[in-house]
Amino acid sequence: MAKLGRNAWYDLTRATNWTPKYVSEDELFPEEMSGARGIPAATWETYDEPYKTSYPEYVEIQREKDAGTYSIKAALERSAFVDKADPGWVSTMQAHYGAIPLGEYLASIGEARMARFSKAPGNRNMATFGMMDENRHAQLQLFFPHANIQRSVKWDWAHKGLRTNEWAAVAARSLFDDIVTSRDAISTAIMLTFAFETGFTNMQFLGLAADAAETGDHTFASLISSIQTDESRHSQQGGPALEILIANGKKAEAQQLIDVAIWRSWKLFAVLTGPLMDYYTPVEARKLSFKEFMQEWIVAQFERQLLDMGLAKPWYWDILMRDLEITHHGMQMGIWYWRPTVWWNPAAGVTPDERDWLEEKYPGWNKRWGRVWDVITDNLLNDREALTLPETLPTICNMCNLPITHIPGDDWDIKDWQYEYEGRLYHFGSEPDLWCFKIDPERYKGHLSIVDRFIGGLIQPATLEGALQYMGLGPEEMGRDAHLYAWVEKFRRAKAAAA
Amino acid sequence: MSELPAQKSLKTWSYLSGTRRRPSEYEVVSTGLHYHTIDPDNPWELDRNIPMAEWYRVHRNQSPLKHHDWDAFRDPDAMIYRTYNILQDGQENYVHGLFDQFSDRGHDEMLEPEWVQCLATCYTPVRYLFHALQMGSAYIHQMAPASTITNCATYATADHLRWLTHTAYRTRELANTFPTHGFGEQERAIWEADERWQGFRELIERALVAWDWAESFTVFMLVAKPAIEETVLFHFGDLARANGDTLLGMLTQAQMRDAERHRRWTSALVGMALQTDGNRKVLNGWLEKWVPLGEAGIVKFFAPFGVEGEAAATKAKLASRKFRADLGLG
Repeated sequence: MAKLGRNAWYDLTRATNWTPKYVSEDELFPEEMSGARGIPAATWETYDEPYKTSYPEYVEIQREKDAGTYSIKAALERSAFVDKADPGWVSTMQAHYGAIPLGEYLASIGEARMARFSKAPGNRNMATFGMMDENRHAQLQLFFPHANIQRSVKWDWAHKGLRTNEWAAVAARSLFDDIVTSRDAISTAIMLTFAFETGFTNMQFLGLAADAAETGDHTFASLISSIQTDESRHSQQGGPALEILIANGKKAEAQQLIDVAIWRSWKLFAVLTGPLMDYYTPVEARKLSFKEFMQEWIVAQFERQLLDMGLAKPWYWDILMRDLEITHHGMQMGIWYWRPTVWWNPAAGVTPDERDWLEEKYPGWNKRWGRVWDVITDNLLNDREALTLPETLPTICNMCNLPITHIPGDDWDIKDWQYEYEGRLYHFGSEPDLWCFKIDPERYKGHLSIVDRFIGGLIQPATLEGALQYMGLGPEEMGRDAHLYAWVEKFRRAKAAAA
Repeated sequence: MSELPAQKSLKTWSYLSGTRRRPSEYEVVSTGLHYHTIDPDNPWELDRNIPMAEWYRVHRNQSPLKHHDWDAFRDPDAMIYRTYNILQDGQENYVHGLFDQFSDRGHDEMLEPEWVQCLATCYTPVRYLFHALQMGSAYIHQMAPASTITNCATYATADHLRWLTHTAYRTRELANTFPTHGFGEQERAIWEADERWQGFRELIERALVAWDWAESFTVFMLVAKPAIEETVLFHFGDLARANGDTLLGMLTQAQMRDAERHRRWTSALVGMALQTDGNRKVLNGWLEKWVPLGEAGIVKFFAPFGVEGEAAATKAKLASRKFRADLGLG
């Protein structure tokens, strides 16, 4: 419509740095908020965002996107998909909504940090759109689950989840606060947008959207794939910041920020997305396994971006590649076993057919995790449900705030990586978790994991019930087996047939 | 465990369950979203002594402007993301329609040479000022103690980028028509050296380092924005119309719609703050400190316009004072 194309005037929208006179540049851009790392403002002015948009384009495109997303929701509302969906899929949605909307909302603080404190004018403008995007993602992912609020109190967790001390909420906040809300503008550009959004949100928003479409949940599929179109734009803020850091002798520092952010993001996705994709989603609707999604999005695409940038793969790459086969299976088992401590109903996902699928995707699954599930299945077949429920709390990693897990069975290799610092003994689930702590202990040293709080007497009464209350879980909110053990009946029938 | 517990049915978030009426879409998607205010002294799930925790303790929690429940704040426009884009896409269609129509009529070619020179010194450098408002709103966003306040600041940040974008567009059009006037090239030098801008420049540089969240809100929303809007939007818009620049007059009028919306939520937030004893004194104390800088900005901007400028400056000052006085301040 406009007579002048965007290229004609775009540069003027980002010619907005000036030399302050009445306050100093250091006052205007305090290093702890800005993170310019001694690189002059004139150099930051060369920041060139690869994905350009302007205000009129933004409001037009976003209005259209919302019109599409909200109208699909309205059109499909009467079909009441959620009432007919497999309980495992309902749990997928409830787990997603409990962890994501308020995290998205807080991401707007990271964006606002860049919009105010980045010395790169292009970054400040793109982050303004990023603030808007994250505002959108929070609002969409609150409005959609709210429509289900009368169905179950578990939908309340879309709003309540991150406001509680439930352990998965603590773990999610621990990641978001580390890489999104508490860093300077340039670190945020790298950790939030380049590492987390470029690398990982594809997993949650495209991988899960593919599964949703296969499941028949077109509302959820259209919602989260629409969100990803925003992510793929604003995630490109980190690249040009990295280029400036690398060109100005800050490559090692940039690499370290990326390495921390990728490892920390991986752990949260291993507990959240891994089980959803490989255990909760009905097996016939699984597009790819979690490992395959990770290999496609993280290994193939993100690794190439890193190398193109002149950066190296993180030092722990071999550990990560190995753990793609391992970590989330242990997390799944932990979540299911400690199911009263989560707000959704964990699906076991281990019927004979599902176990075949797991063995095919993860050769050796049966002799590792399968053997433990054999014991659980046997207990349920013999009415010993109590043995499948927790009485104690697990050991929690002081970095990711998730249980320490790895391979059970003959290949047992579970290790508590301990480290003493200033007289306190810390526990870590892996070498990279310990490394994140060691390179910056001041960021983490005073933080208490849920178990630290329990042992320290901060959770009263000091019982499992007390812990559940502390986590905000009322009797109706605690998780139970998603299928009410219907899956166990398949084993009973198979056993009867064999006899 | 295998038996289903009886389900209690909720009508809305448990967070909003105390409200008597059914919550609006605005309340469902906007309220209670800042988890870092639940334990404000330890805002982040990290060591409590990291610098960013200290920043929020000092500049948010220890603000002298107090309220027992900032989360009770509601935007009188009940603006949400979805409606913001519907509103502003319409507004942008209007403004770009103006740009195109006036361009078709050869509007810029008909401007008097003196006015063109005036635009180069008095208008196009305003992009620095608009961008500073964008930065200031982004700071209020990240420091506000309630998500309903943060959201207002989110949309204000975008609005200020909108004004900056309009200015950039017009600057390029003017540069195309008048290639020797320095449009698109001289603005930074003028912004940094021309005496007419130095009042606003001082105001805005100092405002950007007012770190207390409520002082930042006060200086931007109660002093800087009214002063700037009354000057460069309202009265300069009048001046533009008087000089045959109808387009600029209509553009600034369209931008004022955003400013009026900002004043509505600002007024609501001040009204809420004044319910707490002691806050009037705090706000008036800040106004005492900042209003002289705001008024100096107005006076310096209009000074080169002689008698006409003096009258405009007086009106702009009075309008800014009236806005505050109507809120029971100053």
